[in-house]
Amino acid sequence: MAAQAPAATQARARPRAGREPWLDWMVLPTLVVMAVVVGYPIVYTILLSVEDYNLLDFSPANFIGADNYTKLFSDPIFWQSLRNTAVYTFGSVGISALLGLALALLMENLGGARFRAIRALLLTPWAVPFVVVAFLFRYMYLQNGGVINALLLSSGLASAPVPWLNSASLALPAVMVANIWAMAPFFFLLLSAALSAIPNEVIESARVDRAGTWGMIWHIKLPFLRNPLLISSLLMVISNFNDFAKIWAMTQGGPGYSTSTLVVYVYRLAFENFEFGYASAIGVIWLMMLMVFAWFYMRALRMERR
Amino acid sequence: MFRFDKRRLRFAAAISAATLAVGMVGTADAQDKVTITFANWASAEGTTRSSIEKVIANFEAANPGIDVVSESISFSEIARQLVLRARSGNPPDVAQLAGNDTVLVGSTGSLEPLDGYISKELAANLKPGADAGLRNKDGALFAFPWNQSPAGFWYNKDIMQKAGLDPNKPPRTIEELNAALAAVKSSQPGVIPLGMDTTNRAFALSSNWPWMQAFGALPVGEGATGAESAEMKAYLTWMRASAQAGYIDPGRKIGEFRPLAAQGNVAFHWDQVLLKGVMQGANGMSNDDFYKTWGVTTLPTAGGKATTFEGGHQLVMFANSKHKEAAWKFIEYLATSPDAIANYTTSVNSSLPSIKTTGNAELDASLDTPVFKAFSEEIIPTLAPQPYGPEFAAAATAIMAGVQEAVTGSQPIDAIAASIQQQLPK
Repeated sequence: MAAQAPAATQARARPRAGREPWLDWMVLPTLVVMAVVVGYPIVYTILLSVEDYNLLDFSPANFIGADNYTKLFSDPIFWQSLRNTAVYTFGSVGISALLGLALALLMENLGGARFRAIRALLLTPWAVPFVVVAFLFRYMYLQNGGVINALLLSSGLASAPVPWLNSASLALPAVMVANIWAMAPFFFLLLSAALSAIPNEVIESARVDRAGTWGMIWHIKLPFLRNPLLISSLLMVISNFNDFAKIWAMTQGGPGYSTSTLVVYVYRLAFENFEFGYASAIGVIWLMMLMVFAWFYMRALRMERR
Repeated sequence: MFRFDKRRLRFAAAISAATLAVGMVGTADAQDKVTITFANWASAEGTTRSSIEKVIANFEAANPGIDVVSESISFSEIARQLVLRARSGNPPDVAQLAGNDTVLVGSTGSLEPLDGYISKELAANLKPGADAGLRNKDGALFAFPWNQSPAGFWYNKDIMQKAGLDPNKPPRTIEELNAALAAVKSSQPGVIPLGMDTTNRAFALSSNWPWMQAFGALPVGEGATGAESAEMKAYLTWMRASAQAGYIDPGRKIGEFRPLAAQGNVAFHWDQVLLKGVMQGANGMSNDDFYKTWGVTTLPTAGGKATTFEGGHQLVMFANSKHKEAAWKFIEYLATSPDAIANYTTSVNSSLPSIKTTGNAELDASLDTPVFKAFSEEIIPTLAPQPYGPEFAAAATAIMAGVQEAVTGSQPIDAIAASIQQQLPK
């Protein structure tokens, strides 16, 4: 039944397209724009990635084949940055999704003005600009004079200030907390909408069948939330993979390379060392990884349509 | 149907003729006037904005044929933006630069050599060594020294006294410094014993370079002993011990210590001569009170020698400039005119002019203060050039990441030194 619907749509669309073939050419401006703003930078990046291209050197760049890629595989900072990117992205998205889901389920049946206000309050972090979030947490995390350490010290929970952003082992989790705080409301908003879209008949039937709270969540609600959760998670994975502002504003990838992600590393290579060739090679690898996620995203979208 | 009314027609013709005449005069004026662009961070920062704007306005008043368009770019962004603009063929006429950024932009070959513009009188009036490090391999001057702002070892006499230390005897060796830091930490736990920049950027390496030299370390450059030398490991070990004892507050930029120092919450601080102006701007302290509270001297040492780095600013002219004479006039005015020296260099920028005499006796006399004297007589003689250039920027990322790892992590110092060495430009 589900498979017949798109076929029927195509059957309706074909005769019209057949009558007016010039309509196909209407996509041409879009294709031209895409070729200029997406295609050209990608092709140019690929070309740069096989050149020894330093912006400070005004002489023409040399073709060096796969040397940049060979260098990349033996570059420990690239691997550390890749590992940090994976931990930052999947850790933040996973925890934010769980938090958003829990909040959406908790707030689902709560009505009235008071709860509407709480709902609005819960969404506020999503509206705060990322750079503001970063600076807010940076100042809260300060080893000397930060509000978090002040609270920990005054309550006796810590005997000495915790070096949240100054410890190689604590910095990444600390940045992730700021990211989760900012991202969880997105999942809350999306999953709240998805929950309200579950047909009442399904909920009523489950109640008639005496489904308990956990049974209702596990067997009824979660299957309905699967696709929205998958799509929003994939979107957030792509977005977090490219997240620069929060990390740069909070730690600049430090201390050492403990919070350096791929985007931070590429920025340092391209705009501090001006090594555009090598930075482009990392950019190409990065693009390929994102294309894999994009492919999953497209599949998930198609699954949802069915 | 529209009818021609003679009176209206005459009136319209008169208005058109007047407009045309005014327009032609305006165009003629505009053609005579030259507009130059000036990329700088002085107009991007609150403490210096109004002063630099005033100096620019005074220059324009003194040179009615030249208009200056000031382009505000933050200190940390300016080199990046200038390289990109030079690369794409639209650099400004004049730009403000400092430290490694000057040499980095100079290495692109996009700067105008300035020797031909400098008069004999000006060349003779430049302080000895003011142009050190500002000449390329061919000996051409690619940047003009705007002002001098080396770093000094600042000490808060009040805090030292409260810690039971002699406020007139700042530490001369690292051993004495360690003892003083311990005394401050135990007597005043709310005070940061030592302010130093441990961020990961080229400026932080410039700032830490004299500390490394204090231990005898020379990780990169001519005659370098690498990052795995005993001296470099001694420096990294001392940094780790200082962080673990709570003597330094890691991760802060040098500028982030300044407000804390102004509040009396930093005992010792490794910072440029401009610190005085910044602190007084923040806390409104009078000169007399400032000299009673703060002193400045050379860096304590441990086996190495006391050195400092030149944190002063330079002015560059881009070779693409279409108005080179006007651009040079502006550079010369900023660096040597009594107006710019009084209203910007020695006041809000709290730095020293790069010329011996300003030609204004009153202004020259005003430079005879305890702080300027300490810098001129004691600290400036310890200026040591750093191996600035494109490789310095790459080395900065590797070395400062290692310093951060030493200060905040638990990896053995030997492993950190080996990791730095592996990443240093070959």
